[in-house]
Amino acid sequence: MRELVRVVLEDGEAYEFLEAADGLRCLALARSMKPDLVVLDVMLPGKGGLEVLAAIRRDPDLAGAPVVVVTAWDHLAAEASAAGADRFLLKPFEPEQLREAAAELLAGR
Amino acid sequence: MSGGVVRLRHSVAVRMVMASALLSVLVAAVFALEQLAVSSFRDASRQEARAKDVGRAAVGLEAVVLDLESGLRGYVISGNRRLLGPWRQTRAALPGRVADLEHLVSADPAQLERVRELATEIEAYQRDYALPLIAIAGQDPAAARTPIASAEGETRIESIRRRFTRLLALEDARAAASTASANSRSQRAHALGIGGLAFSAALVLVLGFYLAQSIGRPLRAMAAAAAELAAGKLSVRITGSGPGEVGELTGAFNSMADSLERDRRALETQNQLLLEQSRLKSELVSIVSHELRTPLTSIIGFTNVLLNRPLDQAARQRYLEIIEEQARRLASMTEDFLDLQRIEEGRLELRQELIDLVALLREQEQLFAAQSTRHTLKFELPPDRPLPVRGDPDRLTQVLGNLISNAIKYSPAGGEVELAGEGSGDVVRVRVRDHGIGIPADQQPRIFTKFFRGEAPTRGISGTGLGLALAREIIEAHGGRIGFSSAANQGSTFWIELPAAAKYTGAQG
Repeated sequence: MRELVRVVLEDGEAYEFLEAADGLRCLALARSMKPDLVVLDVMLPGKGGLEVLAAIRRDPDLAGAPVVVVTAWDHLAAEASAAGADRFLLKPFEPEQLREAAAELLAGR
Repeated sequence: MSGGVVRLRHSVAVRMVMASALLSVLVAAVFALEQLAVSSFRDASRQEARAKDVGRAAVGLEAVVLDLESGLRGYVISGNRRLLGPWRQTRAALPGRVADLEHLVSADPAQLERVRELATEIEAYQRDYALPLIAIAGQDPAAARTPIASAEGETRIESIRRRFTRLLALEDARAAASTASANSRSQRAHALGIGGLAFSAALVLVLGFYLAQSIGRPLRAMAAAAAELAAGKLSVRITGSGPGEVGELTGAFNSMADSLERDRRALETQNQLLLEQSRLKSELVSIVSHELRTPLTSIIGFTNVLLNRPLDQAARQRYLEIIEEQARRLASMTEDFLDLQRIEEGRLELRQELIDLVALLREQEQLFAAQSTRHTLKFELPPDRPLPVRGDPDRLTQVLGNLISNAIKYSPAGGEVELAGEGSGDVVRVRVRDHGIGIPADQQPRIFTKFFRGEAPTRGISGTGLGLALAREIIEAHGGRIGFSSAANQGSTFWIELPAAAKYTGAQG
């Protein structure tokens, strides 16, 4: 999944990618690197994606970072936006949807 | 007689008849006592009437005797013989008068004796005095008129009169005694009668109270219980059955409540089952959608990239491998669903081949390495010895693969996974042990239930919840058993036990 996100987004763009295998590492990485965009899967080993999102929103350094939430659980859309997700992508999404979401969120910064 | 202490086994109807009979006997006894009082009065009045009759007859007889004396006196003084006519008539009436009096006192021997003595004296007065005096007066009137002669008559008459007085006095005394005894007897009878009536009234009260207690109380208890039952409290029962028909009624009530409670429990159980089934169904839908969507995302995404971008050979190869892997994941999941369907319909067909489980376990090594780089696999197998079982190698491989992949998935921090095999007697045993998150005690009973995944979804562990359900079906179809021991955060050990194809003696076979 991480590989797919990277492959889809790196098409001609000069993005730098940082990857984390689970929720805790993701949060630690986000805190140290202050990314311009976070793509979160809800199903993460350890800390779930929505928990990571909540922690990001609580962190004053990270609170403004745009977050895209990706999941196969369509009933989580409302929860994700309540937790502060900027975009919600339901699997299986079209690569184009991810590219557009990333471009819009990065352009707004 | 209160219901709790003495419990009569007679029916209510029998008790009421018995109580009525007892009351009837009491009332009859009171009536008999009153009759006794009345009859003793009748006796007394008969006695009194007899005393009056005796008095009348005695006074009549006395008058006759006095008439005789005065008739005799008249003749002696006057010397007129005509006066002797009435005297003789009067004398002729004497025997009848005496007989009347004797008849009246005949029931009383003492009085009869007195009357007879009186009659004898009257007889003696006539024989020894009156008749001789009449004879003397006929020959010598002067001699008859002497004071001595008249004094003799007066003495005799006086003695007769005393006898009369005594007879009457005794008769009156008898009548008075009879009346007094009748009075006292009737007073006693009345007292007994009143006592009997009072006792009957008290008995009626006691019986009424008893009926109220023995019938009314159970009925009230039943009414209260019925109200509770109607309000939905099906555990209500009536204690203390009550007599006869009331007891039958309370018994019937209790068995009705039993059956209601049983039915409701059955309904609740069924409802629970239906709820569980419906929950499992919605879980299934969400699991299937998730498990299908994730590989599909990769397949669609990489296919899109392959189709739309110029890629070098290495990237193309890599993406195609990912697509193949995800497609196979979908295929294997579809296969699991179909397997479960086959098992539930009893259509699972197992090959019967002689298999060495050691070889099967060794095969897992490569698959294991492909799944995780953070885990190490440790074997614990009998050296140079096979573990022979009879069965379907593909299915047994599927079970072992499932247990190993679970061991990896449920120890996300990595670590050692132990794979042990051993034989003893008629069985061959395999153990898969991890040091992962374990299974909380409350989830353990449901671990083999299909689609049950415990906390796996919230922990981000993928899966369909079908693996262990299938594993159990397959092992049991081989005549074996599957089980586990686990505790939260302590890791889990899953074991399977299969019948050995050859007796395992520990020697090389």
